[in-house]
Amino acid sequence: MKVVTGVVGNDIHVVANRLMELSLNARGYEVFNLGVNTHLEEFFDAVVETGANILLISSLNGEAEGWSREVKALKSKYKNLDDLIMMIGGNLAVGRGDAEEIERKYKNYGFDLVCHQIDLNTGLDWLEEFIEKRKTQ
Amino acid sequence: MSLLQEEREIILSNEYVDNFDFDEVEEFVRNASKDLFISHHFAKADKMLVQPRGGFPTYKQQFDLYEFFVESNVDVLPLTIDSNTRLNDYGTAKKMLRLSEENEIDMLNGYPLVNHGYRTTRKMITNFNKPVSLRHGTPDARLLIETAIASGIFEIEGGPITYLLPYSKNFPLDKAFLYWKYVERVCANYSELNEPINRESFGPLTATLVPPSITIVIQLLEMLLALEEGVKSFSVSFSQQGSMNQDIVTGAVIKKLARFYAEEIGCGDAAIHLVYHQWMGAFPMNKDFAEQLINMSTVIASMVGADKIITKTREEATGIPTPQANAKTVADTQYTLRILNGLPNIVDEEEEEILTLEVKAIMEAVFNDPADTLWRKVFNSIKNGVIDVPFSPHIINHNNMITIRDANKNIRIIDRGNVPIPDRCFEYERAQCDLSKDTKGIVNDIIHDIGIMQ
Repeated sequence: MKVVTGVVGNDIHVVANRLMELSLNARGYEVFNLGVNTHLEEFFDAVVETGANILLISSLNGEAEGWSREVKALKSKYKNLDDLIMMIGGNLAVGRGDAEEIERKYKNYGFDLVCHQIDLNTGLDWLEEFIEKRKTQ
Repeated sequence: MSLLQEEREIILSNEYVDNFDFDEVEEFVRNASKDLFISHHFAKADKMLVQPRGGFPTYKQQFDLYEFFVESNVDVLPLTIDSNTRLNDYGTAKKMLRLSEENEIDMLNGYPLVNHGYRTTRKMITNFNKPVSLRHGTPDARLLIETAIASGIFEIEGGPITYLLPYSKNFPLDKAFLYWKYVERVCANYSELNEPINRESFGPLTATLVPPSITIVIQLLEMLLALEEGVKSFSVSFSQQGSMNQDIVTGAVIKKLARFYAEEIGCGDAAIHLVYHQWMGAFPMNKDFAEQLINMSTVIASMVGADKIITKTREEATGIPTPQANAKTVADTQYTLRILNGLPNIVDEEEEEILTLEVKAIMEAVFNDPADTLWRKVFNSIKNGVIDVPFSPHIINHNNMITIRDANKNIRIIDRGNVPIPDRCFEYERAQCDLSKDTKGIVNDIIHDIGIMQ
């Protein structure tokens, strides 16, 4: 499976992004890492260009919400992205937030999987479970 | 008029520069007090120089900060530049400076030197009559450096690689090389008038599991790029790595090889110094622990034989430190240096040999690149992964080298990517590590290894 990943917005926190690439590779995914400081359009362009099955966006500085509001509107401008698995993880709110409330919000923005302050390996386990479940549907 | 002078006139006829008077600046540098030159202090000092970090938006705040530092017996004053100036956005810096001056809050994370201008800043620098070191992070620092030297700042930190790969995602690296070439030549030209202007490279890079071989190669290359433009005083640097032995080995190898390569290109007359940065990674939140870490860094710097140490503060984990906390570190560090007597001389020949072989192999690969000039060879070597900096956010960096810590906390290379680490060295590095784990386990180790000081 192909994954496009990167850090959204003007966020330069690179360490987790590099570790994510390592872990995804080890789990057998073909990874296209756009790195830090990536804008939403670049993510969707890369998905189209690579024919990726999964888009995994991460954010550490808490700015992701501002960007995520535009996900649905932007995604609808692209064709054939209905089966794309949308995942977001990291630190998804500025300051402290209620985890359930944050998850609900991001699912409304169009994400299938929301990992707010979840351990990297746990998050990737969730992704595998989600893929399995979708296969059997 | 020379091409360089034409370029200088273009750079300095900027709407944010108030009539740059070349002749007056030259006269100023020619007659400037020797005490303003760090190169002069390096030559006569019998102790390690202590330099804190720090920059505030307004003239008054910066002046007050310097008063604190002087009271705590500082050797070298810092001038840290704000982030807008670093990106050449002088318009925003100007607006934020006005807001900072009119209100009580700081709207900038450093001193906007270009906006204050050299006439104003020079008054502060000459008032304290201590060497000032310019700290920034600017890929295109041409205007900034002209302003700094005209202000009396005779040490310039940075370089095309060390100020780009850790700080930027897509600023063009080839442009950075050319902009820094200008900086080196301006520094070299001014150096002929009085004591030499010292250039310093920024060794910590990403401060995240960078192996000593990569650090040293980049230090040597930035040094060579400066020396070949005529710079006569240069500082190589690195930061505390996590293992005392590895720091001592790194210090020994970098000193030896800096001298070796300077002589190779016929620049053996240049003065070369070693700068040590106290721990640059994640700091403990506990402020007392932070002070212990700072103290330990000072001891290691002495073991390494550094000429200058750059300090952190007990407030590192919580944000921009207060002048009081910053001055306290300076006083504490001076105290530790004063009572450190009778240091043992530790030499680890096996580690030194391995590290020397690695550095020489990478340097040879860079020199063997078919490009015509050194900066193009270096550019190509970064582009094709012969030089690979772990955790660099820049798109040109390969990110294929993987490092972890061994049982003694030495940083070891377990995947060399495209970096020509000789087989013998690579086997030695891997043999020090527990490689029986799967990637999941190794990733957890890496996370742990990054945060060892917390």
